[in-house]
Amino acid sequence: MIDIENVSMKFNLGMEKNYSLKQAFINFLKFKKQKKNYFYALDNINLNVKKGEVVGFVGSNGAGKSTLLKVVAGVMKPTTGKVIISGNICPMIELGAGFDMELTARENVFLNGAVLGYTKEFIEKKFDEIVEFSELNEFLDVPLKNFSSGMIARLAFSVATLVEPEILIVDEILSVGDMSFQKKSGDKMRKMINDGTTVLFVSHSLTQIESLCTRVVWLEHGKIQLVGDPKTVCQKYKESQERK
Amino acid sequence: MKFIKSIYFNIKKYSFLLKQLVSRDFKVKYKRSALGILWSVLYPVLMMLVMGFVFSNFFKASMPGVSYLAYLLIGLVLFNYFSDATNQSMSSIVSNFSLINKMYIPKYIFPLSKCLFATLNFMITLIPLYLIIFITGTGINFYHLLLPYVILCLFMFSLGVSFLLSAIAVFLRDMYYIYGIIILMWTYLTPIMYNFAIIPEKLQTIFKINPMYQFVNFAREIILYGRMPSTISFVACFVAGTVMLIFGSFVFKKVQDKFIYYI
Repeated sequence: MIDIENVSMKFNLGMEKNYSLKQAFINFLKFKKQKKNYFYALDNINLNVKKGEVVGFVGSNGAGKSTLLKVVAGVMKPTTGKVIISGNICPMIELGAGFDMELTARENVFLNGAVLGYTKEFIEKKFDEIVEFSELNEFLDVPLKNFSSGMIARLAFSVATLVEPEILIVDEILSVGDMSFQKKSGDKMRKMINDGTTVLFVSHSLTQIESLCTRVVWLEHGKIQLVGDPKTVCQKYKESQERK
Repeated sequence: MKFIKSIYFNIKKYSFLLKQLVSRDFKVKYKRSALGILWSVLYPVLMMLVMGFVFSNFFKASMPGVSYLAYLLIGLVLFNYFSDATNQSMSSIVSNFSLINKMYIPKYIFPLSKCLFATLNFMITLIPLYLIIFITGTGINFYHLLLPYVILCLFMFSLGVSFLLSAIAVFLRDMYYIYGIIILMWTYLTPIMYNFAIIPEKLQTIFKINPMYQFVNFAREIILYGRMPSTISFVACFVAGTVMLIFGSFVFKKVQDKFIYYI
């Protein structure tokens, strides 16, 4: 389903500096060569995910979890290596990407739906379902800027999980909304998993990972530290975190 | 052939998104104003009237044989369209970073949607332009049917420049200021407010290289003089449009994978 082969992602830390012409010019006058300061966010990652698997990713901040998901989602092109994917992807790397705060909830459903690649007919057909799931029917014609962040997250989650994607990429979003919505979104996720959706899942909550995943990948400094069944990997990861 | 096919499929696939982006721009633009969409007509009318008044009364500008107001407005409308489209497209990649960073969407969608939005606005400004054409007694003729041709060429040209600018702006934010100056110079180098004949003959050839001159001239030939533009005019518009579009897309395609590291 997903084949990640020798994927490396190299960032140039010096890039920030050459933002403006002025800086470039100053550097030029000072004969200052830009320091080649590379940083590997991902270092030679190999991973094979089969259909129906739920793979969790753990690791400390900056370990490369989100970068890996972005590479799989096609947002970033890896510096070397390649990713082969069969099936349609629903990336939920951040909810509500493409929401416009000036527009109303109704307008945003269509805009966000279009961003996610749905057709107009599809959204119109499923519109009531979205409204019902998000429980926001009173606020449909209110501009999004007047929404609370929890309400925005609800709307976004409802739109994003509308289709039954073959591959779902989730980056720390199950913690949205109030308790009842958390349960609702968790149930929806579980239903998708039971229906055979392949899921890549990043979370810092080990309980969530252990309860949802069939396999866990532990990333550290852009490298795979350990792959295996949830219990053992989570246990080892927990130990290493406690030692710090 | 395969290339054209893939373009066709992409356009079909993302046409709904394009529509949504354009309509978002439209809604956001007029959301808070009392007159709303009426401004699309009112704003250019008022601006044209101010410019027309200033130039014909203070500078005593006139055009032999034709209405100066109509002469000025044709140039203004076309040039404003170009300047609007390119200016808005320039920041389109940078300002849509939150999307680019989180989803896979073909990046050319953003400058393209801004250009389409500008085209829509331009279509609306054609209403006051035609109003002026009738009021000044310039009249309408059979050759007006050729206007879509020059609009299409101008659209391709604007889109090409937009691709180029939006890509450069990612790496070099100074471009916003630099382009502001460039467009100002460009406005004066294009005979919009003055008669082309006042330019020294030696320089005229150089002025004619300016694609904007070609587009404006083509439209004026039709609207003001009611005659068929010359073959050279036809060719010049087409070449300017296609060459710019191909060059712009080429550069954009080449650097688009690097955007994400710089925004």
